[in-house]
Amino acid sequence: MLFPLVGSLVIFMMPKSRSELFRPIAIFLSIIPFGLCLYLFSNSKSKGSFVDIHTIDWIKSYGISLTFGISGMSLLLLFLTAILMLLSFLSVSEKYSQSKGFIGSILVLHFAVNGVFLSGDLLSLFIFFEALLIPMYFLMGIWGGENRRYATIKFIIYTVFGSVFIFIGTVYAGVISYGSTGRLALDFMTLSSLSFTAEQSRVLFLMFTFGFLIKVPIFPLHTWLPDAHVEAPTAGSILLAGVLLKVGAYGVLRVSIPFFTEGFLEYKFIIAVLSVIGIIYGAIVAIAQIDIKRLIAYSSVSHMGFVMLGISAGNYLSLEGAIIQMVNHGLTTGALFMLVGFLYERRHTRRISDFGGIKATMPKYAAIFLFCSFASIGLPGLNGFVGEFMILMGSFPTYKVLSGIGAFGVVLAAIYMLWAYQRMFTGEISIKENEELVDLDTKEMISVIPLLVLMLFIGIYPSFIEGYVTQDALFISEIIDIFSGRLN
Amino acid sequence: MNTISEAIGFNLIVIGPTLVLVATALILLFCTITIETSDFVKKSITFVGILLTIFSVFLKFGLFATNGVSSYFTEKILLDEFSLFGNVLISLILLFNFSSIWNTSTELKDKRTEAIILTLMSASGFMLMVDSESFMMLFIGLEIGSISLYALAGINRGDLLSNEAALKYFLLGSLASCVLVYGVALIYISLSISGFYDSAIAIPYIGSENVPLTTFIGFLFVLVGLLFKVAAAPFQSWAPDVYHGSPTGYVGYMASVAKVASFLVIGRLCMVSLRYVMDNFQLFFLAVVVISIFVGSFFATVQTDMKRLIAYSGVIQSGFILSGIVSGVNGTSASLFYLTAYTIQLIGIFTIFTIISGKLSSDFSIENLSGLFVENKFLTICFSIFMLGLAGIPLTSGFISKFILITNLWSYESYVLVFILMLSTVAGFYFYLRPIWVAAIDKPETPVEQITLKRSEVLSLGVLAFATIFFGLLPDSLINLSRWVIQNYL
Repeated sequence: MLFPLVGSLVIFMMPKSRSELFRPIAIFLSIIPFGLCLYLFSNSKSKGSFVDIHTIDWIKSYGISLTFGISGMSLLLLFLTAILMLLSFLSVSEKYSQSKGFIGSILVLHFAVNGVFLSGDLLSLFIFFEALLIPMYFLMGIWGGENRRYATIKFIIYTVFGSVFIFIGTVYAGVISYGSTGRLALDFMTLSSLSFTAEQSRVLFLMFTFGFLIKVPIFPLHTWLPDAHVEAPTAGSILLAGVLLKVGAYGVLRVSIPFFTEGFLEYKFIIAVLSVIGIIYGAIVAIAQIDIKRLIAYSSVSHMGFVMLGISAGNYLSLEGAIIQMVNHGLTTGALFMLVGFLYERRHTRRISDFGGIKATMPKYAAIFLFCSFASIGLPGLNGFVGEFMILMGSFPTYKVLSGIGAFGVVLAAIYMLWAYQRMFTGEISIKENEELVDLDTKEMISVIPLLVLMLFIGIYPSFIEGYVTQDALFISEIIDIFSGRLN
Repeated sequence: MNTISEAIGFNLIVIGPTLVLVATALILLFCTITIETSDFVKKSITFVGILLTIFSVFLKFGLFATNGVSSYFTEKILLDEFSLFGNVLISLILLFNFSSIWNTSTELKDKRTEAIILTLMSASGFMLMVDSESFMMLFIGLEIGSISLYALAGINRGDLLSNEAALKYFLLGSLASCVLVYGVALIYISLSISGFYDSAIAIPYIGSENVPLTTFIGFLFVLVGLLFKVAAAPFQSWAPDVYHGSPTGYVGYMASVAKVASFLVIGRLCMVSLRYVMDNFQLFFLAVVVISIFVGSFFATVQTDMKRLIAYSGVIQSGFILSGIVSGVNGTSASLFYLTAYTIQLIGIFTIFTIISGKLSSDFSIENLSGLFVENKFLTICFSIFMLGLAGIPLTSGFISKFILITNLWSYESYVLVFILMLSTVAGFYFYLRPIWVAAIDKPETPVEQITLKRSEVLSLGVLAFATIFFGLLPDSLINLSRWVIQNYL
């Protein structure tokens, strides 16, 4: 999984004059991890829960080693990352694809995200979590929109504020582990063998979860997200929504719940309430948006609320649904941001009121947009339905009222997505510039169609993807059952 | 004769680095006042002098291997791990600042050699300071070092800011020295001790509860004098003005050398002399650390002048380093790692400032950085590495040093302190990333010229940036070194 890093080095070393080669090389380099993911899908290990693959001794004087491993959940997210990277390289316009820094930053980002999903200990998880920020800083800072300075700094400060708590949590866990093993062992195997007291478990859970939830983002901590999405360049938004938001939820699933379960049981209700508020709030605010990119950004708040609701319910079905919903949301929102990016390149505006009736000039675009909207709403037969249905099914026994309220989020999603679609695409063409809009060309079609195929595939045949998350969900839910049994 | 010299512990190798530096300075002085010598010859003399200094530090290592921790010159000079560590760091600071110091001095026209001589003399003073066993020696070393620095701050006489900086540094610095020497006197009259090891023996002998209050006040005054030098709040008020006013080329040297020497002495005080009475000082140190963090973070966020920003960031970093030193033995080793990493980044940043700005100019507003990416990519990359290192981003030495330090602090159960320190890093991300933004991202409004670098500048910057990354990826060697320094006190 080091390939993206090598790739970015290659790109940075290439002379500027050969800029037309940057895109093919980047695509080639991101096909390699994509191919590896496909290969791993067929591997028997990939369906299990977390297994260590490789350990490196790092700081010997403190006994710190870095562990890397993989599980079905990580593999799915790696696959999602790989495909979104590949397609965003395909979709970006000439202006970006000929810039060394842009391609290089995305490859570094890919490397860091892979690192997060593969890391098998707290320290490397934190390192990659923090290392994500540097390429994002440059991506948003250099190629962002008008108000990028504010948005970038807000994004960085929010994330760093969260990661400070993860850092202290890591240190705390390290000190505890030092007390019992004699070295700063932070790998998941050692952590699961340590027995934390209820007090420690609560504190650690709060620290880690707070840091990860900022990244998710959960309701009161979400305000960085719309700004960051709107100001980031298209490829940046795709990756931010598609991949980076998953990092937070992944961290909760991988670290907070399995190791600090007592803390989870203590605070899960608060998380559930906040995520339901997030579902409804995100959806209502999305209805009011006049900027289509902001609308999709708020819809992310709503969708990630579903993921967190599923996680907080903490039974097998809802956890499975949450993981599937993470992948689905990456595909759907990634595709929507890509589509908005295509439109922005043509008209240089994202205001919904600047469009109207463009179905007449861009029929293919309108069809694809409608398809993605349906997927986002959760129409049966498409991917969104699978995840949300499983989450609501799973969480209903635990939180009857909350999941009942959360279900309204699906209805609200239909309102904001379809209303936006109606305002943008149907009716007469109201603004003159829109009469000359060009429909999607082949390159753009190629870059968006694979996502549509995946949405349909997951919607029709969900057991395929379910097979990869079963073990993870089972593992986590069993731990939760054990602990809640012990408490009662 | 032989027996006498043995009895008083006469040994030239122990003060070798100091002697070589003084000798080099004197040769340069001689060349300036008697025979016309070309710049090249002077440059060679200085460079050879610095190399010989490093060589004599190696000789000291040889002596240490045979004699172990030992004292010389009737218990005035001490040879231990702290002094060796200090010698190595100071000579390396001198080596890596050589290019910026020399290039700045050539712009001084007729006073150029004076500046070099002052630099060498101050280095010799600080060498003596880290070697000192008796408090008087400590004072002498500190004064030799500091007085040269006062003069260096004001060497550009045409510049008002430079004059102001020198005067301010001199007045406040001599006040701090007064306090220090008063503290030494108080310790002497109350317990009749005048050395680090004397007090380490005397205090447990009479029992820590029987130590007179005067001694505590004396130690407190000594610490205040040293904390002034490292610019820990509330003794930081000189730092921004002095950094701002002094010729840019010298600030990197001035800032790093005084910090390194003073922190090593503080470390030795806490490890050796105050070992059994550290509890009585915890509140004082905690206050200094917390105030440093708050004052530094607060003022650094509002600075528009880069040199002032680095000064306030130095206040924060002093707080970090101090928090480790006072917490215990392992904390001290973490702090030494931190100190080394910070020194590397500090020198790197000021080398870059020296290249960008006029070398003698004192102002360096953040706008000077704009367009740096167009002017020179190598500089921008190095600058970003140093700034990210200061902020503590993973894969730089800054992260490792923070991680080790925080881990140690947490294991000493100073939880509140950890939270304060970590929150200051959040603020740090704001003001460390802003200059990178200006340098790498903002488009310059006026057309800019390319900057061409001298080979020596490329070499020293490259080594410093490489070291920042290297200690971030493979920190083992430096950690082991910093543990070796404190191994006797475990």
